[in-house]
Amino acid sequence: MSNKDCNRSIAAALTAATCTLLGTSAVEPVQAQEEPGWDFNTALLYYGEDNDRVQDLSLNILSRRVFVDDRYLSLGLTVDALTGATPNGALPQSVPQTFTQPSGRRTYTTTPGEFPIDDTFRDSRVAVTAAWEQPLGRLFAINIGASASSEFDYTHLGLNAKISRDFNKRNTTVSAGLAFAQDELDPVGGAVMGLTQMPVAVDDDDDGDGDGRNRGPAEDKDVLDVVFGVTQVVSRNLLMQFNYSYSDSSGYLNDPYKILSVVDGTSGDPVPIAQVPGVDGPSHLYLFEHRPDSREKHSLYTQGKYYMDGKVLDLSYRYMTDDWEIDSHTVDLRLRWPLGSRSYLEPHLRFYTQTAAEFYRMSLIDGDPLPEYASADYRLGDFDAMTAGLKYGWKTSGGNDMSVRLELYQQSGNVSPDQLIGNQVGRDNYPDLNAVIFQFGYQFGK
Amino acid sequence: MGVEPWERDVLAKEEMQLTTDAVEAATDDHIYFSKEASSGGRGFGGGGCGCN
Repeated sequence: MSNKDCNRSIAAALTAATCTLLGTSAVEPVQAQEEPGWDFNTALLYYGEDNDRVQDLSLNILSRRVFVDDRYLSLGLTVDALTGATPNGALPQSVPQTFTQPSGRRTYTTTPGEFPIDDTFRDSRVAVTAAWEQPLGRLFAINIGASASSEFDYTHLGLNAKISRDFNKRNTTVSAGLAFAQDELDPVGGAVMGLTQMPVAVDDDDDGDGDGRNRGPAEDKDVLDVVFGVTQVVSRNLLMQFNYSYSDSSGYLNDPYKILSVVDGTSGDPVPIAQVPGVDGPSHLYLFEHRPDSREKHSLYTQGKYYMDGKVLDLSYRYMTDDWEIDSHTVDLRLRWPLGSRSYLEPHLRFYTQTAAEFYRMSLIDGDPLPEYASADYRLGDFDAMTAGLKYGWKTSGGNDMSVRLELYQQSGNVSPDQLIGNQVGRDNYPDLNAVIFQFGYQFGK
Repeated sequence: MGVEPWERDVLAKEEMQLTTDAVEAATDDHIYFSKEASSGGRGFGGGGCGCN
């Protein structure tokens, strides 16, 4: 063998060895790139709460087109159909209670002893997302996206961007992201002014709304989110992520459909109001809630994924604190357990606890000075929640992925006895929640 | 800490990605955003919904 031949042979061997290490083919280098094409991740979700509360049927489609050079276009569509009822914030009472509907045109009456719920709730929601992701040079990657959604009384427009850089042989990835959303609320009957009294039902004009005395036009809400993250490969079997998030919301942050009962300071019962003959209206004194017009949240999030002889443990924890004095802790645990090579089971447990917002109160006391802010929205109260579920996933004969999951979600409120007045003691004062989540997923085109 | 490029066989598995199912993650985030006072952490805070 000549020197030239020998050099060629060594060069070929080195090329083959390098390509083997890199997982590419020396014969068809271009073929090693991802073939351009679409893949789809679809899901049909049912979410249903007990006691005829909220039911949601949701169709979700996330499609992704892969381009050469690790560039991706993602397009998402979500369609929700919502029905049911939601607690309006008023306290239950031993007599029927009548409320004016959000439209201001009619009233509804609730059953004694049960949590007052507004069963006129109907909505549909369509949301779309688009995102573009690509490398920038050898170590950077960017992702830019937009989102929009529309409901009967709510419109959302958002933009987001994220940049990341790999370090340390790509074992460490540092990222920073920014998102801005501008939402518009146009509640049924108008945007109510906080801590004003629920009016009587009147329909004295042709626009379909009530008399508009305590209603304003559509309101805006702006949300700015910032996320900094570090992803670290710890070992061959362990991947960790650490995120810090900051979120700033400003504008109209009230829930325009939530009210508070005004109660007698001794009996704790809602204060009845005089009824005018021939006029429909609330049976008791109720005020619309009022929240601050800004909110700052800080979150710390960590997630670990650990591979154990085919099984994968996914554990995450989130701590959140905000200037409404809500602190929350969330622990999420999943274990993917393979059943042969084509299917798996994945049990899921999630624990959540939060403290109440500083302005959360179950009721207002008649005659006391009005606080600056007040809400009886159960989602701002002190409660614990747990989710337990099981997912089964399998690969079809065509190589696509299917899955079904069933989960139960339970919320349980914590009401301390010193918050209770008179007859409120012994009553159910927090609308506990039980919900079922069922999802069918189908991924194809990968 | 970390691995060499040729030791990424396990980390490259689909089930070892931080988010294995983007749609399931999004639906979960939406449910909990609607029912609790916290959101985000894993990514942006979510929203775009009059449910909270």
